[in-house]
Amino acid sequence: MKPLNYAILKHFTTVKEACADDVIEALKGEYGSFKALNKKAVIESIMTGEANGLLEETRYDMDDKGELRVYYRAHAEGAATINSYIKD
Amino acid sequence: MNEVTGAANLVAAKKKLSSKFFKKGITVAILSGMFYGLYSTFLMLGMSKGVWADWYGPNEAMLSAFVITYMVGALGSAINDTISGIWCMGIAAFKGKLGDFFRTLKTKPGRIMIMAALVGGPISSTAYVVALQMAGSIVIPITALCPAIGAILARILFKQKLTPRMMTGIAICFLASFMIGSTGLGGDAPAGLLLGILIAFIAAFGWGLEGCVAGYGTSMIDYEIGITIRQTTSGLANLLILVPIFAILAGGGFGLSTDLFIDAVTDASAMPWFIVSGFFAVFAYSLWYKGNSMCGAALGMACNGAYSFWGPFFLWLILGVVLGQDGWTIPPIAWVAAVVMVFGILMIAMNPLDLLKKKEA
Repeated sequence: MKPLNYAILKHFTTVKEACADDVIEALKGEYGSFKALNKKAVIESIMTGEANGLLEETRYDMDDKGELRVYYRAHAEGAATINSYIKD
Repeated sequence: MNEVTGAANLVAAKKKLSSKFFKKGITVAILSGMFYGLYSTFLMLGMSKGVWADWYGPNEAMLSAFVITYMVGALGSAINDTISGIWCMGIAAFKGKLGDFFRTLKTKPGRIMIMAALVGGPISSTAYVVALQMAGSIVIPITALCPAIGAILARILFKQKLTPRMMTGIAICFLASFMIGSTGLGGDAPAGLLLGILIAFIAAFGWGLEGCVAGYGTSMIDYEIGITIRQTTSGLANLLILVPIFAILAGGGFGLSTDLFIDAVTDASAMPWFIVSGFFAVFAYSLWYKGNSMCGAALGMACNGAYSFWGPFFLWLILGVVLGQDGWTIPPIAWVAAVVMVFGILMIAMNPLDLLKKKEA
């Protein structure tokens, strides 16, 4: 099992793009009991990854509840960095 | 019409999210500098009570000048960082992150964080103390170069943005730190001045490296886990390696370090202050890492660098105003420097011309 923050970043290397809700949905099986697996913390973690050039924004829209939903992806260089630091 | 309003709301919501993240990064980085000032103040208070008052004062314990100069300072840092590490473990346990702490230690980013902690903790802190002893207070503004060094290293190592405007802002912040440090400059420069200044650059380089490496590491490691690694590494390395080395160099053998350690931790008048300083140190460093990871090393470290103002400010407020001790008054130049520093930080964060453009619009 990886630390939660690693799993969040690593998730982006396995999908084309994802938003915070997608990440939570994908990780809740293994990390469901973690207090830090909540939307606010996951968004902050993703945006920190973006600020450090690991992830980039792809698009954004409103979800069914009228809440902003931002999608991100790991571009080639970002994915390579994530994979070199965080092994499977 | 509704579609147009919906699209406008969407763009506004996205702008709000980005601006909230940016503002939070700056707030976190500024708070880190304030907590740095608070932790330094309470550490200084702890190191003026009980056995520490004797070691630095009448010295009835008959410690040598070497022990008082180097070892007692390192012991103070060691106890502070170890207590801070215990606080971090408690906070991590409360937030359910202790498992991730141990899992992170075994990974590459975890090991990098340990190295950054060793460089910034025992190595830089000792270099700082030694430089201070050799060259006097001129080393204080030199160590204030660490944000500039951090920003340059972040540009080289992590390709972070560093424009001429940001470099100008860093230079203004350095000037402000120099203004504050210059108030301590006097006829206290001893013979080892040049070597002392060179050693001060080691401290500045170490802190710059720690800030940019650990800041980048915090983009992968949760910042509360990062700080737990930092404080436990620094505390244990100081306590189990650095202090015993000083004890052996002082000719007292390993036993001297355990004797002084026991004297210090059993002192009921000093220890409560170390518990407080260790608590504030948690936020001084964790918010430093978090701020650097949220807004880049250049801006994060410049905001944190305001500790060169917050340090004297809290010393004046707590030791001077609240506890009535003499000698903590802030000279007027430091207040001016604080304003200069705010301008420097603004310069790194944004183009001042944008403010004018907004007014025009």
